[in-house]
Amino acid sequence: MNQSGFAGYHPFINFVYFAAVLLFSMFFMHPFMQVIALVSASVYSILLRGRGAVRFQLALMLPLLLITAFINPAFNHAGVTILFYLKSGNPVTLESVLYGISSACMFVAVLLWFSCYNAVMTSDKFIYLFGKLIPAMSLILSMVLRLVPRYKDQIKQISYAQRSIGKDVTQGNWLQRARNGMTILSVMTTWALENAIETADSMKSRGYGLPGRTSYSLYRFDNRDKGFMALMLSLVTVVIIGGINGENSMRFFPSIKAAEMTAFSIAVYAAYLGLCMLPIIQHMMEAIKWRSITSRM
Amino acid sequence: MEIYHVQDVSFTFPLQERKALQNIQLKVHDGEFIIIGGKSGSGKSTLLRQLKPILTPHGKREGEIVFRGKPIGELDQRTQASEIGFVLQNPDNSMVTDKAWHELAFGLESLGLDQQTIRIRVAEMASFFGIQTWFHKPVTELSGGQKQLLNLASIMTMHPSVLLLDEPTSQLDPIAAADFVETLRKINQELGTTIIMTEHRLEEVLPVSDRFIVMDEGRIVVDDQPRKVGEALRLMNHPMFTAMPSPMQIYAGVTPESPYPVTVKEGRQWLDRYMAEKPIVRIEAAQFDDEITAIPLAAEPAVRFKDVWFKYEKNGPNIIKDLSFEVSGGQFYCLVGGNGTGKTTALSLASGLYQPFRGKVYIGGKNIGSMNARELYNNNLAYLPQNPQHLFVKKTVGQDLFDMLTHSSLSKEKRADKVQAVSEFLELQPLLTMHPYDLSGGEQQRAALAKVLLLEPSILLLDEPTKGLDSFFKDKLASYLKQLNADGVTIIMVSHDIEFCAKYADVCAMFFNGSITTSGPAKTFFAGNSFYTTAANRMARHVWSHAVTIEDVIAQCRNNG
Repeated sequence: MNQSGFAGYHPFINFVYFAAVLLFSMFFMHPFMQVIALVSASVYSILLRGRGAVRFQLALMLPLLLITAFINPAFNHAGVTILFYLKSGNPVTLESVLYGISSACMFVAVLLWFSCYNAVMTSDKFIYLFGKLIPAMSLILSMVLRLVPRYKDQIKQISYAQRSIGKDVTQGNWLQRARNGMTILSVMTTWALENAIETADSMKSRGYGLPGRTSYSLYRFDNRDKGFMALMLSLVTVVIIGGINGENSMRFFPSIKAAEMTAFSIAVYAAYLGLCMLPIIQHMMEAIKWRSITSRM
Repeated sequence: MEIYHVQDVSFTFPLQERKALQNIQLKVHDGEFIIIGGKSGSGKSTLLRQLKPILTPHGKREGEIVFRGKPIGELDQRTQASEIGFVLQNPDNSMVTDKAWHELAFGLESLGLDQQTIRIRVAEMASFFGIQTWFHKPVTELSGGQKQLLNLASIMTMHPSVLLLDEPTSQLDPIAAADFVETLRKINQELGTTIIMTEHRLEEVLPVSDRFIVMDEGRIVVDDQPRKVGEALRLMNHPMFTAMPSPMQIYAGVTPESPYPVTVKEGRQWLDRYMAEKPIVRIEAAQFDDEITAIPLAAEPAVRFKDVWFKYEKNGPNIIKDLSFEVSGGQFYCLVGGNGTGKTTALSLASGLYQPFRGKVYIGGKNIGSMNARELYNNNLAYLPQNPQHLFVKKTVGQDLFDMLTHSSLSKEKRADKVQAVSEFLELQPLLTMHPYDLSGGEQQRAALAKVLLLEPSILLLDEPTKGLDSFFKDKLASYLKQLNADGVTIIMVSHDIEFCAKYADVCAMFFNGSITTSGPAKTFFAGNSFYTTAANRMARHVWSHAVTIEDVIAQCRNNG
């Protein structure tokens, strides 16, 4: 269970945070905002997933970014600043190039945030949160998470058992293979239904179905969570106010127009930077504190 | 105080003539530890399920069951869930949620307790059972023993006053089973919880129990203290006596006096007293060796492993390390050893399911890697998986058997003859029209064996075939295997069941740390071990180190008597 850094906070905080940064990076197209989101998401995902994340970003995200950036101007010809004409006679405009780059950045930032979300929001956190809303749902999710690996394992075992009598999907011609595959699925279904009866017994015998079922969780909303929540919400509020005042938006077509830099807009960008960097800052502060504690020991 | 009072209870399943339970009279007092024994199908589980109404199968019940002074039918759901705990046989099936902690809390959630209470109870139980180290783990990562312990703990969190267990250790290896029984003893002794459990494996559990009830054909045959039950069964000449602990059987085979010993320790002490009066004739090992028939070595061994290494993942640990052994044709070869030592993996390698990454496996002199499925699995190798259910594909046992022959070139009559022959051999005729899943564990094992035998194998690979079987089915299985053996079929078996291997195998090998540490003819092999050996041998090894089976020890006692 990942309990260090930002992931150690209450699931509700994790969820609200990711909901906020995801929505913001989807809707705020201002270049500053985009750069902040992209850089923070990239740094955070590297922090969470290490070398794998670097490889992921270079091998998948970078090409994706370039392709999206190039595809847009090839199909979108709006905008007033014409750079040159394609062979088909369609113009390539500065606006569409920039819009392509901008939407590519947005797309990649969202994907990166999602990869961070996956690392932080483990299944039990998700179950816990939605269990609060729909209690039956949390149990179903938990059962599904129990059954999926179990069924996978069973399929493997059945397939091995069938292989040793020459009836696996890897044996025979394609027709036999298909038939064997169907047989394995049918064995699996029978097995699953048969064994589910016993699981139902186990649930009944432990009082499942009594009215007034509660949902237990290991999480507590402690003072640390409250502090973090307050900080996070105030930053979110500032960014939203900025958004309402149009500080975070950007117009691409027909001509480019970004919001002007004012003292207030700088404050909004700073708040957004703070928000996006929050897990990273938290992580670094923890590391520094840990070092100072161990040096004194 | 009286917990249960079962008054003249009979039970009939729907659409059946025969009564599954007949006139059961039973009183259970607070804090008792009761074991119910008997053959498969003797009504043990049916009786146990009568004691918790929500799990009682459909059918007609006569007589009355009183729980704490109230008819059991009047118990409401809530009391029933919390007061009467029920542990099922298969730990995997009884688990509902994906994490250990959630499983612990499941019953309490159902009862609608608040967060704080659940937190305290879960913490208490996790500490009592020593679960804290794997509290956060997904249940799929737990071992079989841990799973069953978790099941028990998740019921104990509800603070039941009675615990009912239906063959809880049948799916566990001997070490995990002993641990589980020890935990039950602790619950019984330290918390005073009443325990009623059905069980086949009596060696560990009888010494800690207060009462042993033997059932046969839906009736209670004997109900007394374990040592007295042994005596009574002996007097009745009841077949259940062969399921009793070895010291008891040896004692009864030698002297008719009472009281009967239950543990190896008591057996040893008795044997010392018994032998003190006799002139001791110590049999030297050499004399025993003469009795062991030399196994004829065929020119080419049926199965040969040569310097085999194996791992499941590229960067994973080596599971099989430099394993070399030979099994000659017509041998009954047993691989014994602890859990996770690689026994089953070795068997999978022999069956061609996996390929070694170093070294070679030869089947009848041919490299297994170069053989195709047809060569390998027709008239050659047959593998019986641990769970026989994985082989069944049709609605009835009969159809399932015919299914094995769909691709053969035989005529219809020939096929019918073959199926007829194999079902005669394994005594399956009455079961041919039944659904494979409706059979008992032992019957499923037999049906699965019939399926693989239809391929007419010359090498039979068995993965723990005695798991969860009662002693009668084991004897039956042994007789089939011996018969096949006599027909020239080579048998390689992986097992935890030391007593079974000692009694029937030709050669035993001990698996440890990915390869074979020692091997030898069964009797010499077990005689050479000090701990990893049969109960009979542990009891008598200080007098006759080569007496391995119950029959050996009895024969020695008689010779000296």
